[in-house]
Amino acid sequence: MASQLLPLELIDKCVGSRIWVIMKGDKEFAGTLVGFDDYVNMVLEDVTEFDYSGSHTKLKKILLNGNNICMLIPGGEGPEGAVSASP
Amino acid sequence: MENGPVTQAEGKDPSGFLSEIIGAPVTVKLNSGVVYKGELQSVDGYMNIALEKTEEYVKGVKRRNYGDAFVRGNNVMYIAAD
Repeated sequence: MASQLLPLELIDKCVGSRIWVIMKGDKEFAGTLVGFDDYVNMVLEDVTEFDYSGSHTKLKKILLNGNNICMLIPGGEGPEGAVSASP
Repeated sequence: MENGPVTQAEGKDPSGFLSEIIGAPVTVKLNSGVVYKGELQSVDGYMNIALEKTEEYVKGVKRRNYGDAFVRGNNVMYIAAD
C-alpha cells in the first residue's frame, strides 16, 4: 500500500520552487519557497505581494507569518498566472 | 536523512533567516497595512520585534519616527530584509 503524503510533506517538496500563497482576506504572495516551520511561517525569496487594490510590491526576501495563511499553491505565480473560470 | 539543528541554519528556515537579518535594515508590515522600517534589534518566537530608528508609514505616507519600538508579534504579517 502506498504511503500517503502528509500536507506538510507536500510543502516540503516545494522548497526551492515557486509557490503562491493566498492569505485570509484579499492579500496574496508569490515567491520562491526557501523554508518553513511547524506553524507554516515561511521564508520566501523574490516575492511579489498582491494587494487588495491590485497593486504589486516586489520584495527580495521575507519571513511571512503563518497565522494568516489560508492556501498554498505549488508552482503558482500569483493571480495573473492563474486561469480564471469562464462564466 | 539528517536534520540536526545546525544543518540548515543559513537563512533557510524561519529561525535561520531571522538570525541572518538581526542588525540589518528591515521592513515590517502589520496586518493593518501599517509599515515600520527600521534596524532590527531582536525577534523572538512570537515574532515580537524590537526596532531601532523606526519610521512609521500609513498608506505609504510617512507618519512618525520612533527611536526604539516594540511590535507585538500577533500583528506582524511579514518581516522583509531591505
